[in-house]
Amino acid sequence: MKTLRRLSWILALVLAGPLAQAHIASNGFLTLRVEHAQVSGALELAIRDGELAVGLDRDGDGKVTWGELRASQTALQNYVLQHLHLTGADGPCRMGFSSVQVNERVDGNYLWLPFTAACGSVGTHLSIDYTVLDAEDPSHRGLLTLSSNGATQTAVLGASAARLFELDHPSPWSAFIEYLRAGIWHIWSGIDHLLFLLSLLLPAVLVRRQSRWEAVPMAAPAFANIVKVVTAFTLAHSITLSLAAFDVIRLPSRLTETVIAASIIVAALNNVFPRVTEGRWRIAFAFGLLHGFGFASVLAEMGLPKGARLVSLVAFNLGVEAGQLAVVLAVMPLAYLSRSTAFYRRGVMPWGSSAIAALALVWFVQRALG
Amino acid sequence: MSSGIGRPRMQRGRLFTFFAVALVSAACLPLAHAGPYAPGSDSTVLAELPAGTHYADVSARRLAQGRVDVAIPLAQFYIQQSRLSGDLRYLGYAEAVLTPWVRQNPPVPNVLVLQATLQQSRHEFSASLATLDRALTARPNDPQALLVRATVLRVLGRYPEASAACERFAGVVEPRLGAICIQSLRGLNGHLESAYLELTQVSSQGWLNSERSWLYSELGEMAVRLGRDADAQRWFEQDLNLVPTDFYVRAAYADLLLRQARPGEALTLLKGRESFEPLLLRIAVAQRQLHDPQLAQSGARLRAAFAAETQRGEAVHRREQARFLLEVEEQPNLSLAAALQNWAVQREPDDVLVLVNAAKAAGNPAAALPALDFMRTQGLRDVRVNAAAAVSVGS
Repeated sequence: MKTLRRLSWILALVLAGPLAQAHIASNGFLTLRVEHAQVSGALELAIRDGELAVGLDRDGDGKVTWGELRASQTALQNYVLQHLHLTGADGPCRMGFSSVQVNERVDGNYLWLPFTAACGSVGTHLSIDYTVLDAEDPSHRGLLTLSSNGATQTAVLGASAARLFELDHPSPWSAFIEYLRAGIWHIWSGIDHLLFLLSLLLPAVLVRRQSRWEAVPMAAPAFANIVKVVTAFTLAHSITLSLAAFDVIRLPSRLTETVIAASIIVAALNNVFPRVTEGRWRIAFAFGLLHGFGFASVLAEMGLPKGARLVSLVAFNLGVEAGQLAVVLAVMPLAYLSRSTAFYRRGVMPWGSSAIAALALVWFVQRALG
Repeated sequence: MSSGIGRPRMQRGRLFTFFAVALVSAACLPLAHAGPYAPGSDSTVLAELPAGTHYADVSARRLAQGRVDVAIPLAQFYIQQSRLSGDLRYLGYAEAVLTPWVRQNPPVPNVLVLQATLQQSRHEFSASLATLDRALTARPNDPQALLVRATVLRVLGRYPEASAACERFAGVVEPRLGAICIQSLRGLNGHLESAYLELTQVSSQGWLNSERSWLYSELGEMAVRLGRDADAQRWFEQDLNLVPTDFYVRAAYADLLLRQARPGEALTLLKGRESFEPLLLRIAVAQRQLHDPQLAQSGARLRAAFAAETQRGEAVHRREQARFLLEVEEQPNLSLAAALQNWAVQREPDDVLVLVNAAKAAGNPAAALPALDFMRTQGLRDVRVNAAAAVSVGS
């Protein structure tokens, strides 16, 4: 009888036969982007694997909540510091982490841990030593996607010693193009800067008389208004962007992002409840200084290539200007042509501005609360 | 209109406008997550942890590093969890527990049998056989090692060797267990009809559930190959009544229903078991037959699973992948490639069937000839294959 009892479990195992391997094994996803001196990326682990690594379920109820994940952030970062080593030409890279997030994959939620790695100069090779979960689950693998200057390679990490990856190298010209493109992309994708500018430009084709908006009679004053606002904004954010890029001044990004949201509210509400009706360029300049710090944090994430810092900074700034100018050129002629309609003065001005302010208010609350 | 009276009213109007727009904007804001995001509330549950996957269990694993009497039951627990939940991660946990003990000299036979089971689960069949040889050298009549050996050889289509392992197994266990092992091999090896009859006449009174489940699943599979679908359905149902977690039989039963064009019943049978990829495959096939829009989800999950496996350089689900490519994606050429790779690794009746179907769909029936030759020389009989190949394969 004793033999049978012992046999019963093995029966259960064997009978599963070749189907016993039902579920996909444990995979982590490591994304690395090498751009000039900077390596940025993210490690994605299934919540279950995060639990196994550091213990996320703090109250032991068998469920991992977002609050528990956030509370385990430091432990996760320390774990990654011990189990993921990147080495460039100048030796080990120094890792810095941003806030943990969640990514939904088809097989469940993954924790998403973004980081940057300062490698000095990366050189032609990057060594990656990935030992995540090696003690807890030897079948765990890290699926790597490594892109360096436009070329992408993939590999499976784990279960072996550190691996060396060859990197593609860019020309200075391609760096210029890349930063120019990043500048344009940033101004278009982060619509907060554009909304701020548009809020200040919407009334440029109008004048305020007796508490009412009226169309400007001629193109010249409208054009002058636009040029003044755009120039003031450009000048202001260029100053602070340069100062921040060269590490003269740094502001915490949460503060700048929150104030940027506030600046949009102010600019938009000024169209609904006008206070400043002349010389809006002063608002553009004052808040433009803060928007420059916002651009700078994007640039800090990308990193400036050694030896081409100034060129890249100029390229990024030119990209921002080109992007904003394109929008101004697309929108303002329409605004000018429709300036005397009721639609523009009683529709676009109050409703459009309200919408912008409302959206900015949501951003403001989100950013202020972190 | 005098501005003195009009203004406050206009301001109220604007305030109303402002809040109306604010409400609409706020309502539009929570878009679907296309990428990483931060959930809104700390109490959002991100995952539920299955048994044995808690960080606290790590301490038990540490204990297992120093004590083999802890390591063995812990590894057994993980392997069993893997079978119950369909979750391959547990096999990794078991491996972690066993690793320090596998190289132990003199070897611990129980550790080696577990190791061989893990290797078999990963389709590392020759490694599994080598591990079993070590175990059987240390303990020649170990019934567990003999049974795993018979199973591995059977999957490889090496029936005479599998039968020999069954004979040795039969010599050291209760006669009824030996009979199941031997007769199920005879059923593959040219004596399907008589082996089926022998096993139907076995009285399973007083048996353990796991033993009866083994009997029913063998009988069910034999009935399928004989073309006695009504019998097969009865055996499968008896088995699932006894052991609802037997997903091997559940998959076989679902295949039977799908073959009989009963996709709705197949879906009912598989409901709630989507986490098992082999069962998810059957769900996707059924959804495909029913034009169920939820196929998009199941298909995406399977595609991701196969892609991850391919990127890892593993091929444990080639059979399922070949079926997925054929029956869901309608890519016969890719399906045939997967089926051929699968055939190079394992040779069960289902592997023959997948290859024959894929070869036919790809317009290249000759690609299945090696499998049909195998059937002929071994005397393997399967009406499903005959129907698919539309050629007579003698038994």
